[in-house]
Amino acid sequence: MDMFLELAPTGILQGLVLGIIALGILIPFRLMNLPDLTGEGAYSLGAIFSCVLLIFGFPPLVSILFGCVAGGLLGVATAILYLRFKVGTLLGGIILSTMVYSINLRLMGKPNMAIFEYKSLFSKNLVLDIAIVALCLISTAAVLLLFLKTEKGLRFRTIGLNSLFGERQSINLNSYTMLGFFISNALCAFSGSLMVQIQGYGDINMGIGIVIHALAALMIGEVILGTQSLQRQLAAPILGALIYQQIQGFALTLGLAPSDLKFLTGSMILSVIVFSGKKNA
Amino acid sequence: MLRLENIYKSFPHHFEPILKGINLEIQEGEFCVILGSNGSGKSSLLKTITGEYALDSGKIFLASQEISSWPLYKRAKMISSVAQDITKGTVQEMTLLENMVLSSLRGKSGVLRFYHNKKDEMESLIQELGLGLEKYIMQPLHILSGGQRQSIATLMATLSDPLLLVLDEHTSALDPKTQSHLMEYTAQKVKNKKLTTLMVTHHLKDALRYGDRLIIMNRGEIVLDVKEGKENLCIDDLLQKYGALE
Repeated sequence: MDMFLELAPTGILQGLVLGIIALGILIPFRLMNLPDLTGEGAYSLGAIFSCVLLIFGFPPLVSILFGCVAGGLLGVATAILYLRFKVGTLLGGIILSTMVYSINLRLMGKPNMAIFEYKSLFSKNLVLDIAIVALCLISTAAVLLLFLKTEKGLRFRTIGLNSLFGERQSINLNSYTMLGFFISNALCAFSGSLMVQIQGYGDINMGIGIVIHALAALMIGEVILGTQSLQRQLAAPILGALIYQQIQGFALTLGLAPSDLKFLTGSMILSVIVFSGKKNA
Repeated sequence: MLRLENIYKSFPHHFEPILKGINLEIQEGEFCVILGSNGSGKSSLLKTITGEYALDSGKIFLASQEISSWPLYKRAKMISSVAQDITKGTVQEMTLLENMVLSSLRGKSGVLRFYHNKKDEMESLIQELGLGLEKYIMQPLHILSGGQRQSIATLMATLSDPLLLVLDEHTSALDPKTQSHLMEYTAQKVKNKKLTTLMVTHHLKDALRYGDRLIIMNRGEIVLDVKEGKENLCIDDLLQKYGALE
């Protein structure tokens, strides 16, 4: 129990960072009905690119911003592959994420890079750090919710619900699809670039399996909150990520090795799919 | 207003083309009814006009612009349609308000303005339907019956004054009473708004009662085109025409 309490605050911080990805992948998986795995590459690209910029002397916020744009553009690339060349979004995302690995190695020139001595948004004061990430996450979710309630947001939502209807209402679905993939992957990159500044280093193996973690978080949140309204749908990844991270922490205190957690995550996702009868999940 | 030049359309695995050199010109404000047996190509004709199907060859002009290669969404700025399939004309998961707003934005670019502000405007439009559906404005559309949804879809298609209204058997999935009510409502809208309209139907009575031009299609060709003297036609005339086609 002591170990659990010790891990809990770090878990909250990690959970909030994961929440940003979960919110990001909610856009293709739930709003657009176009499951996309580019997030994995976008997360690590955002992380490494912002890390390198930081070393080049860019301020922490500017580095993060450029990291987001890089991740967002990766998402646009997946969208173009899908719209123009009919490559499925799942496959396109995996291929691009694989390619990002090489790009990241080129960017860093080595497998990892410490940035402890550089300026960072974060201070090692856990409470303050949690507040910063919570603010980022909640304001992002709020902006997204407000957008979905505007005319443009309403048009965006037809992609996932009835795309033929959308086109018949003279909506250019291609540009909205690119927009959705941009925002989704920019959020994943946002999360990655926050993570490097939190942990103080960038690593080539960052982000492996991150979309699956985020998906697990999203699904836990949906089981608890439901998806009846946009408010609930957008709160689900946030609550889900916090709980998911605590479950992981709890599993560690029970004596599971960190390497066992991936098995745990996979089983959680599969059981939610099997027992809730959710499709394409 | 609308001009079709030598339209050909075929499908893979079909030996014969479904549309074989259609030429047609529709005047502004004309209400043209299309009859034809199953497989005669009438629905395909409408879908090539709206852009749901791509042409093999031929040209389509609308309001003196060639739109043959325009994608569906771009044509939809000028053309609105109601299909036979009730699930296609609306978004079931969205509320009545959301559906209505989407249609009212057709041909315009949506802006970053909260769509909820349009509630009163949309409510009064739904009231005009006379079905008492305005109380469901904040409910998802799937709680409405098929007839109610199709009525809403028809209302939505006429919302932003399209240059061309395309109705593809839009009443055929409904019971007879709802059918005639919706048909009457549609004719009223077309008349009041002076909409240029193409309507496919299987109902000979409707084809005679409504519209000021009648076209019969058979095997991908237009075999009859009556403009003058349409009001003098009777069901027996039509049955005779059909009989001659078999």
